[in-house]
Amino acid sequence: MDPRCRLLIALMLFAFSLAFLDLPKVVLVLALVILAGTLSKILRRLAKLQILTGILVAFILVINITIGYSVIYSLTLSLRFLSIVSSTSVFFLTTSPDELEQVLKWLRAPRDVVFAFTTAVRFVPVLMLDLSQIIAAQRSRGLEFEKGNPITRLRKLSPILVPMIVTALLRSNDLAEAIEVRGYGVSKRPTSIYELKFSKYDWSCIVIVVLATAALTFLLIY
Amino acid sequence: MSAIEFDHVWYRYSSHQDYALKDVTVTIGKGEIVGVVGPNGAGKTTFAKHINGLLKPDKGLVKVLGRDTKDESVARLSRDVGIIFQNPHHQLFSETVSEEVLFGLKNFDVENPGLVAERVLEDFGLLQYREKPPLSLSGGEKKRLCIASAIAWDPKILVLDEPTVGQDLNNKRQLLDLIVSWSQRGKTAILVSHDMEFLWALNPRILVFSKGRILADGKVDVVFTDEEILHEASLRLPQLAELAAKLGWKNPPRTPSEAAKRILEVKGWPM
Amino acid sequence: MSSNLDLTSGQGCGKPVVIFRDFTFRYRDADEDALRDIDLCFERGGFYLVAGATGSGKTTLLRSMIGLIPHVYEGEYSGEVVVLGKDVRGTQISELARHVGYVFQNPENQIFMFSVERDVAFTLENMGLPPAEIKRRVEWALETTGIKDLRDKAPYELSDGQKQRVAVAGALASEPEILILDEPTSLLDPLTATTVLDFVEGLSKMLNLTVIAVEHRLELLLPKVDFIIALKDGRVVLSGRPRRLFENEVNINRLKAAGIAVPPVVDIYHEVAKRGIKMEKPPMTVDELVSIIKRISPVDR
Repeated sequence: MDPRCRLLIALMLFAFSLAFLDLPKVVLVLALVILAGTLSKILRRLAKLQILTGILVAFILVINITIGYSVIYSLTLSLRFLSIVSSTSVFFLTTSPDELEQVLKWLRAPRDVVFAFTTAVRFVPVLMLDLSQIIAAQRSRGLEFEKGNPITRLRKLSPILVPMIVTALLRSNDLAEAIEVRGYGVSKRPTSIYELKFSKYDWSCIVIVVLATAALTFLLIY
Repeated sequence: MSAIEFDHVWYRYSSHQDYALKDVTVTIGKGEIVGVVGPNGAGKTTFAKHINGLLKPDKGLVKVLGRDTKDESVARLSRDVGIIFQNPHHQLFSETVSEEVLFGLKNFDVENPGLVAERVLEDFGLLQYREKPPLSLSGGEKKRLCIASAIAWDPKILVLDEPTVGQDLNNKRQLLDLIVSWSQRGKTAILVSHDMEFLWALNPRILVFSKGRILADGKVDVVFTDEEILHEASLRLPQLAELAAKLGWKNPPRTPSEAAKRILEVKGWPM
Repeated sequence: MSSNLDLTSGQGCGKPVVIFRDFTFRYRDADEDALRDIDLCFERGGFYLVAGATGSGKTTLLRSMIGLIPHVYEGEYSGEVVVLGKDVRGTQISELARHVGYVFQNPENQIFMFSVERDVAFTLENMGLPPAEIKRRVEWALETTGIKDLRDKAPYELSDGQKQRVAVAGALASEPEILILDEPTSLLDPLTATTVLDFVEGLSKMLNLTVIAVEHRLELLLPKVDFIIALKDGRVVLSGRPRRLFENEVNINRLKAAGIAVPPVVDIYHEVAKRGIKMEKPPMTVDELVSIIKRISPVDR
């Protein structure tokens, strides 16, 4: 499925999640979100995320009840929150950074911004690996975080932070060279090996989504 | 008492992954020099990280100088096990070269740190840079500074990850001498390295890692002449070993001049 | 002209693709010249090995050929560098990059996209080529580097050797005339390193590509290259065909003084010569040495 199509579905679900504040409607929207999750085969990962969100949701629930809202109203608020988070996840869990980049391009986001964004995402795991190696190296030289008062502990961060900054700077220097050498920004109109194209399937999907939105809006509002 | 003992050690980074160490059993004595070789991802660094307790085995036992690593902190083990990782930029952070050496000395409460630092910098030919920032040094010098900073606190076991990378001919010779004299003082040295020619000249015991297991363990002239093992571990014969294998010599030569003598041992050369 | 410098621009140089004339460069804020009085000529289809200790100026030499010097790294620049007839100083990096592929020391830092296929297409997309043309070239680059089956892999799923191939494929996709490799094997284990270099050698022959590679492990690359250029403290101390240069022990000592380790077979050649037996040519591999010994040894006939 075209990522733009998924974006549309997610946006619809997101809008519905925001729109309603009574229990049966919120439950219905949440069910739709879970259905979308099931269809896109990400239910497991979605469930994991929902468990994490669930903790936060339980927290909201408890707070709401203690400050005197009714149980039903609190439950509605909590489920609504869950549905908002899940609907956006339906898009992000099914979309690779590559597809996200294509969607952003299609949305006419400035090229430099898109490139900076994708490069950042691309190098997060690399930098995390650097960080863990730095920590290993300094612990091997006798650095202990557990000891000392808060101020000495804070000072202990510099053996980690300085190499982290240096490594990141060296890497970004390499990246800057590579960006030049690989011709970034040469043409004012860069192309793409794969242009996003709607298939018949995607078109019918969009039609269904639009119709469903209209029908649901009608049903839920009147 | 041995310096390092691995007893049926298994380790994996996460439950989704294959074991990075599989049933590793090996004993390394005091004063031994050991070269650890194998392709990238074979478990060499994972093995090294077990020696000072950065990693603890999932199954099995690691003992360092008779102490179970599970019972000790990384800091306490590191007092006796100096590990220097491959990339100097992952550890250099001080404002001056001498402070960089002092860092470990102070962490381990070594006496007379200033004096010790000065001496070790002199040994490594870095004394003239002592007030300079470590990052202003050349690649080779940074690497030497890292090694110097571990030698300074005088551990009993030294573990070096790719120590010859970026070192020129002269520095490699000095490194070789350093490791030999280190072991003559009864201290253990472990070198994780791809540098076959360097290891051949050093003449250590060799552990070959492949897919998390120890594939071979023995003297360098036995292991490095075994084409089958080296092939399986994605290694290459050092040239002198390859020569010996191809000419059918039993004892491979250690140096080029030794090889030359052997070539000419055959009678009847028109000299 | 002294015999240890064969690749000067003044001498006959087949079809030159890169020429250095009296080139000297000092990085801004540096105390010393990074390169000094460089006079070199690289010819079409040649395979060049650039050797030298760290800090001898190898990377600076490579940067000067793609325009990173002086366009990204500024400093005192004198003399000239001409790449495919264009003065580097007056030519943009992007223009040079159309004809010069560049592979950095750490391939990780030049892979930008999330799939191999899209990364190989990166330069072509930047040039604004039509999608059909991009597809054709990417297909060719993946095929040539033997990584077709990796096309959908993400960078973090690749081994170090595979990343190296992806980087080379990305450089080849723009169909360059010159391929520059900065220490292509420094992160690889010996056998993977040999495979990568075999493959680069194959490319240079198949595509009549000029390949210029910096490499520490001489024993891996010497048997493959046509020419060697040795640097010390920013100067060329030796240049020419290794087999001819290595006949003379003075040149070997010059290399060693520059901190460059010579493969043991070359040392053996000279040790044997010292003892009165002269082999016709210095061997570059153990196999060559063995076959010479078998041919000239008095016993094996």
